[in-house]
Amino acid sequence: MVEATHDVLVVGAGCAGMRAAIEAHDAGADVAVISKLHPTRSHSGAAEGGINAALGNAADDDPETHAFDTVKGSDYLGDQDSIEVFTREAPEDIIQLEHWGAFFSRREDGKLAQRPFGAAGSPRTIYAADITGHVLIQVLYEQLVKRDIRVYEEWFAWRLVENDGRCQGVICWDLMNGGVKLVAGKTVVLATGGAGRLYRATTNAYACTGDGMAMALRLGLPLKDMEFMQFHPTTLFPSGILLTEGCRGEGAYLINSEGERFMQRYAPNAMELASRDVVSRSEQTEIDQGRGVNGSVLLDMRHLGAEKIIERLPGSRELSLVFAGVDPIHDPVPVRPGAHYHMGGVATDTDGLTELTGLYAAGEVACVSVHGANRLGGNSLMETITFGRRAGRAAAEWAQSHTTIDVPASAVADAEREVRTLLDREEGERPWQIRDELGSTMLENFGVFRREHQMAKQIEIIDGLRERYGNVVVEDKGNVFNNDLTQAIELGYLLDLAACMLQAGIARKESRGAHSRPDDYPDRDDENFLKHSITRWNGDGPELSYEEVRMTRWTPQERKY
Amino acid sequence: MKKVAYYTGCLATLSAKELDTSTRALAPKLGLELETLESVTCCGAGDIHEAEPDYYLHLNARILAYAEETGADTLMTVCNVCTLNLRQANFMLQKDDVLRARVSQNLEAAGAPPYSGSVEVKHFLWLVAEGEGYELLKQTAHKGLKGLRIAPFYGCQILRPSKLLGFEDPDRPWSLERIIEACDGEVVDYPAKIKCCGFPIIQARENTALGELAQPIEQALERGADAMVTPCPLCHLSLDAWQSKLNAARKKKKQEPLPPIPILHLSQLIGVAAGLEDSELKFKRHVVSVEPVLEKLAT
Amino acid sequence: MQVALKIWRYDGETGDRALREYEFDAPEEATLLDCLDIVKDRIDGTLSYRKSCRMMICGSCGMRMDGAAVLACKVRMYDMATAGHVPVISAMGNLPVVKDLVVDMGPFWRKFRAVKPWLEPGYIEPPDEREHRISQERMNVVHKEALCINCGCCVSECNSMESDPEFLGPQALAKGMRFVGDPRDAQKVERLEAYSSEHGIWECTRCYFCNERCPKGVDPRDAIAKLGAEAMAEGIDRDMGAKHAKWFVTSAKTTGWLRETELVPKTQGIVSSITQMKFAMGLARRGKVPLPFPPHVAEDVKEARALHDIVRGQGRQGALGHVQGERALARIEHTEHGSVRRDVPEVTPGEAPVQRDLGDRAESSEEAKP
Repeated sequence: MVEATHDVLVVGAGCAGMRAAIEAHDAGADVAVISKLHPTRSHSGAAEGGINAALGNAADDDPETHAFDTVKGSDYLGDQDSIEVFTREAPEDIIQLEHWGAFFSRREDGKLAQRPFGAAGSPRTIYAADITGHVLIQVLYEQLVKRDIRVYEEWFAWRLVENDGRCQGVICWDLMNGGVKLVAGKTVVLATGGAGRLYRATTNAYACTGDGMAMALRLGLPLKDMEFMQFHPTTLFPSGILLTEGCRGEGAYLINSEGERFMQRYAPNAMELASRDVVSRSEQTEIDQGRGVNGSVLLDMRHLGAEKIIERLPGSRELSLVFAGVDPIHDPVPVRPGAHYHMGGVATDTDGLTELTGLYAAGEVACVSVHGANRLGGNSLMETITFGRRAGRAAAEWAQSHTTIDVPASAVADAEREVRTLLDREEGERPWQIRDELGSTMLENFGVFRREHQMAKQIEIIDGLRERYGNVVVEDKGNVFNNDLTQAIELGYLLDLAACMLQAGIARKESRGAHSRPDDYPDRDDENFLKHSITRWNGDGPELSYEEVRMTRWTPQERKY
Repeated sequence: MKKVAYYTGCLATLSAKELDTSTRALAPKLGLELETLESVTCCGAGDIHEAEPDYYLHLNARILAYAEETGADTLMTVCNVCTLNLRQANFMLQKDDVLRARVSQNLEAAGAPPYSGSVEVKHFLWLVAEGEGYELLKQTAHKGLKGLRIAPFYGCQILRPSKLLGFEDPDRPWSLERIIEACDGEVVDYPAKIKCCGFPIIQARENTALGELAQPIEQALERGADAMVTPCPLCHLSLDAWQSKLNAARKKKKQEPLPPIPILHLSQLIGVAAGLEDSELKFKRHVVSVEPVLEKLAT
Repeated sequence: MQVALKIWRYDGETGDRALREYEFDAPEEATLLDCLDIVKDRIDGTLSYRKSCRMMICGSCGMRMDGAAVLACKVRMYDMATAGHVPVISAMGNLPVVKDLVVDMGPFWRKFRAVKPWLEPGYIEPPDEREHRISQERMNVVHKEALCINCGCCVSECNSMESDPEFLGPQALAKGMRFVGDPRDAQKVERLEAYSSEHGIWECTRCYFCNERCPKGVDPRDAIAKLGAEAMAEGIDRDMGAKHAKWFVTSAKTTGWLRETELVPKTQGIVSSITQMKFAMGLARRGKVPLPFPPHVAEDVKEARALHDIVRGQGRQGALGHVQGERALARIEHTEHGSVRRDVPEVTPGEAPVQRDLGDRAESSEEAKP
């Protein structure tokens, strides 16, 4: 039984999802959003530092420079044609957001302010103090509400429905009332975000469990570059809560236990504003070599002064006070690398179209690939807007030019059977144990630095965890707000994705971007590995192949900051 | 004796005169030398703060400036709303140099003394709840309340926003209880003691206000209180004068009327325990008779 | 550290309610949210609550602790645990409870939508296809309102809404101010008219619970005050609340002290005042209705008069006159005397979950008793 039929179904209501829905609506399609959270709860709202576009307000800038910085930042793994589209269209997208009322910080002349960010040749990060994500989520939600776009709120998307070579709908678990529900759509846009919850130390919300990636994977679609997980250099200990790169953009220093600004030795030109993978590796090295302070390094903002901190970085100050018990005005804040952004994801073209007709993806869930092996700070928020828009329009246009929709009734029955199996199980293991073990072993064996023996061990560990997952027990048997059930399902997604990541990681015998193998393969190997990893699911495990990188203008150079 | 600048506020000079007379009678016994400010205005309450915020700031700056002129370091208030308004203005002006400069300049242009931020605003409640004032209170309340059951009602603006008031934990205040006990009364505790009496909207949105007012009165009665005490004359007005309206609303809903419960100003509570004269307490000005309380104490 | 929590459980399907106690070990840096996770994972998987970011930005985890709304991810448990205090956790107030700590946010979002929370462009033309040129200072008029994460903590504690569930409430009105104060919005007057309606600005009882509970420093009460200021500045002042406020200004300018007796007719109009006659006579008998003549005039009131003219001429009408206190970097730390009675849950305000449907006021005041 089908709950409803729409032209475009957007799964996920973060920045990418909402931007896609708004565009699809404006293109004339009947669009609905499915989200396991209320839209403003989405993790896009936690983004802090800013969003990149070559507006040229703070200094001379142009889309080509932005594109080159992105290509270099990606350690030459990014697909250059998509990157060029991205940087070319970004400025207009920002202006659109501002016209919709986004509350951005301003320059003296009243124009949008732009701050320097990691690995950027020119200060191009538009920001709102240090709560940029919050401001974007608010303005997009306002525009969503203005258009009265239907949201299936707190509906947990669980399976994609494929029929006749097309994606034709989504099967969900209705969290508020209980029950398996099927929503049909001529097109589906995945905008479900990343999977930081694979790691115990992560900036990500509890909800970031790779749902869309896992759904696409199980349907047989290719995931791209799964081994590349970005570790953000400045996360609080032990929670992993994010302190924005904007702190360093405003001038903060990174100090080791000897009081040294150690980035001098790793990136003498860019210093603290080198690319994130470079900074994370530098920090990790300092910590590993005994120059850390309780497993962290120190982020020192004291010299910025109280006024600047309160005006430009009030959110960071509040987070430091509440979660680290430290006031950055007076003391340095202990920080360390934490899993933050997944460069990999569902493979799409520049319009967000995946391999499957009718299925699109945008935002962190997708891999276009704009970010290659490492993402620049500020590019992710921009990606959600630009590619959210493109995917929304492409989906709307396709939906409006195709009339048939055909969803098999058996899809719901299969899902209901699976839920019953899970709910009926009386004895077994509680999910938290598996989840915690996954999180700590991933951090230990597949973190900033990767080593052959650790990765091999981790593959075994994941196999063991997946087996134990087969016996996981859900204590809450009720229908109303049963997030014991949905959290158990999310764990299953994480385990599948972990297997994919490890397989791709151990096979990539080089160091590139966020994938660093300091012991056995410390250098980049363009001859053998200038290519994307492609992972498919073959029934009970991942299968690896490769795909060419699309290059237009830039040939790989040595990457130094 | 501690000299304090005394700001009566509007109600204490008019409809709640009993508050002023009892405060003045108590002051010397509690070690307070009151220097009454005359060249002042209404503090503006929430109304001028809302309608003309810049004017509100200036009116309060002027009151503070005249308080500074007395040479005292403390400006004493006897009303929750005045306390919040004056403290808020003081706080903003003390912290913001540019604002302070403009306001001071304006004050001088109007013929008033300049503002320099040297006085602190304290409610009479705070002066007698601890320290020297508290010690003198214990001595002064020699007649005592003989175990009379008193329900304290704080109201809103002596507790919140706590970043401006800050005397006690806004969710677990203790000052009124401490004073009641020092006067040999028995404290009747109840959840709504920190909630709103509804006074600010009692004219513009009477039904909503009565819905709020009902809570402290019902709860105090349920727990067997003989009387209520409050540090705010606005709360006093709604608790005392609007009890009849509360019962009228109950009648409409076919509910039983509530028995009357007398409401005392803080200074009257202490005053009774200290043996003040009728002429100083002026209980006859209350709408709900305080006789039952006085009878209980006489036995 | 050893932690104990008492949680009000509510079964959405049967309607059963019970207060359950849970004891467990937690890391020292644990927040209330972390503790709920421990309970759900290891003790009772049927406990339901919302969560997501755990860093005070998504607004999911609003709930009541000892009767006061908080963000569970913001509350550090260390002090409470070491003092041996067992807090009572319940769902937020003023919203229907669905299950345990999960409330139905439907009414909340309906009120949000009712204030038309999106920019209505057209007031100023952005130059040549680029961004509007606006100073940071001008945008900062609504910088606090823009911080709102829609968590519901203010709504949970709103005293007006508890008495009248139709009141738009602090969150919706603060969001309204966010647009009234945005220089790009073209519908300021229309908004102010709409927000000055029966359940709008003038129904706020000024209890300041919203300011006190807001975990982000939005200060919704101040946003409502700014709306009032803007409304009055635009001449949208027909509401009794506005008339009430205007009389305070007039009094201050003319006699210094509030002209109490005339307040009633000035606020409610002559006709309504006449219907209040019996009530007024009751007050008059006690001397609570002082004669307006001779007027009670404060000394040197001409200064107050002069101040009004000076201030008027300095162009800080409306919300611009409202000082936001950003330069006040420090809060006043409150003193605490004597023992804090943290071990007696019966006297904790609002402990029991308030269950209500909209409009069911009589029943809800029953439920509010612990």
